[in-house]
Amino acid sequence: MAYQVIGRSVATSRPGARVRLDGWGTAVVVALAWLLLVVASALNRSDFISHQTVLAVTFTMSIVGVLAVGQALVGISGGFLDLSQPTSLILTALVAARLLAVDINVAVVVVITVAVGAAWGLLNALIIVYGKLNPVIVTLATNFVGLAALFLLFQIAEAPINSGFRDFGRSSTLGLPNIWWPMVALVLIVGFFLPRTRYGRHAIAVGGSRFAAQARGISLRQTRFAIFTAAGACAGMAGLLFAASSGPFTPSSGTVYLLPVIAATILAGVSLAGGRGNIWLILLSVGFLSTVPTSLVFFGLSSDWQAIFQGFILIVAVAIDGYRERNVAR
Amino acid sequence: MSAKEKSMFKSGGSAPLRGLGMIAVSALVLVASHTAGEAQDKKFKLGMAVGGNPCCEWMKAQGDVARTLAEQRGWDYIELSNNDDAATALKNAGIFIQEGVDAVIQFNGQPSANPALAQRFGSANIPVVTYDIAQPGFYFVGIDNLAAGHAGGEALGNIIKEKWNCEPDLVISAEGAAAGIVNTWRTGGMRDGLKKVCPDIPEEKWVSFESQGQATAGLPAARDLLAAHPEAKKMAVVGLNDGGVLAAINAAEQLGRADEIIGWGQDGAFITGDNVNPHLAGSVFYFLEGYAVYALRDVIDPIAAGNPPPVKDDAGDPASRVEPCPVSAEQAAKVPDMPERVKLLLAAPPGTTEYELFCPNK
Repeated sequence: MAYQVIGRSVATSRPGARVRLDGWGTAVVVALAWLLLVVASALNRSDFISHQTVLAVTFTMSIVGVLAVGQALVGISGGFLDLSQPTSLILTALVAARLLAVDINVAVVVVITVAVGAAWGLLNALIIVYGKLNPVIVTLATNFVGLAALFLLFQIAEAPINSGFRDFGRSSTLGLPNIWWPMVALVLIVGFFLPRTRYGRHAIAVGGSRFAAQARGISLRQTRFAIFTAAGACAGMAGLLFAASSGPFTPSSGTVYLLPVIAATILAGVSLAGGRGNIWLILLSVGFLSTVPTSLVFFGLSSDWQAIFQGFILIVAVAIDGYRERNVAR
Repeated sequence: MSAKEKSMFKSGGSAPLRGLGMIAVSALVLVASHTAGEAQDKKFKLGMAVGGNPCCEWMKAQGDVARTLAEQRGWDYIELSNNDDAATALKNAGIFIQEGVDAVIQFNGQPSANPALAQRFGSANIPVVTYDIAQPGFYFVGIDNLAAGHAGGEALGNIIKEKWNCEPDLVISAEGAAAGIVNTWRTGGMRDGLKKVCPDIPEEKWVSFESQGQATAGLPAARDLLAAHPEAKKMAVVGLNDGGVLAAINAAEQLGRADEIIGWGQDGAFITGDNVNPHLAGSVFYFLEGYAVYALRDVIDPIAAGNPPPVKDDAGDPASRVEPCPVSAEQAAKVPDMPERVKLLLAAPPGTTEYELFCPNK
């Protein structure tokens, strides 16, 4: 479901009342762009339509998608962006790898890893709320500090290569990567519950207009804590998937995800100004963005072009977001 | 005033001057003798600029080994990290010059900064040892990267010949363009070495991707490359280093094609320990962490003794040559992991190299 705070008023009750359905225009545009890309690639080389391509694209989607959910939550609630995701991703992947190396039960590892991610988000929220600081600056700073701390902690880490955890990360179910399914589940669940739960509606309301939300008795502080903790938990989940599916990683291995995650979030129609966005559209935006680099290779272009295209798409998405904001303001 | 008086005045007037002169001379002698004593007591000061790329544990270990060897010799030791950044390397050069080091060892993964570094250190008359990446005017200590590439490529070629009769569907190069000429030597050298054993592999079978020398960073590009060659069953991987080769292997695992891929790496970073990927058939050890043994034995010790050796700045005719040690995964399993190797190296008689201690194919 898509939702938007009408005229920057506050949505606090039933989703259908003050939050109206919106954003399917974005869905159609992104879906058409994706379809066009697939058709062009298939016309260029018919073997583009293959199970191998589907696997390559869906593996790429998995971690980006989970991180994009966290990023979207922060964006919708008016926190703009969480720039500390590269650090929280690697921190949680490191926790998972280290715990698995000492033979701790996988279920316990999952719980602890997600909890560490949530704790990281909570730390961000504490600094933002009690320091009364801009979330972008805070998360930028915690990313720097966290990255430096990670360099002190380790050089290279890897989940045990012969563990069931790694087997899970490399294998598929129903022809699609195992790590893709949790991403889809997360997108569907968060997308469903965000406009239907109290904290979700508060987040949308605060993102729409913090002053109006406060006037309606919504605690900005509590909302910030809830959203950043949830975003951190998403990073923890991404860290698990990353540790399960990737090889040896370094403290800086998470930095490559930031650009595609931000691009996917904005392309999904999440307003940088807050109050508007559709979590479900992340499936489309991440799918489209993950297909771009694979298509480039089929067109004979090197993967170096990937960043150029993603940057370009990000600029277009931001421009569209600005246009939408101006329309909303009118 | 009579001549005598003049003479008396003159002699009488010169007495305090003489006294002052005596004092000045004494002071000068004191200062000079103190300085001479200082010069005699002055410890040799070694500067070490480690690479600082978080990709590789050996970069930090290079500093640890150099520090221990310098301390064993009673030298002062200053270590800075280049953070894999050209600007930081230049800043570090300024710090070394200010600190008055007598010699510098560097591993600089950003060779674009080397000409400026050479100019700065040259102006300060500070001799520099450079590891693995040659620079005119710097003592070259390191591996013959081209020879290491050839050795690895030939070893992989022999496996392909035995297993696939020299008929792979794909030979994948895991490039690391940022390493510049080192990438050309190693990755290109591996291709040439492989061609030496299997000369008839068609041109269209040779493909490349940018691995950035890292398993995770190169993974998406490797995945896309494999997806673009869905028909390829028998795949061989060469590359800049073990990390890059692992990117292709991990991609094949994700796409369900791991049984069809064999890689041979460079640098030996991921071929020891208990977490070795079974599709990494081998690697080439340089024992990078132990380069300081070569640098001190062949360059820095003679400089400290006042007998600087002639500058040999060419990788083909180096100041000290590190032998490449190609090893299969089975052989590598018997080689201790890096922390243990460092421990054993530092306990070995001075001048002993890791190649002598650990290479199974001497």
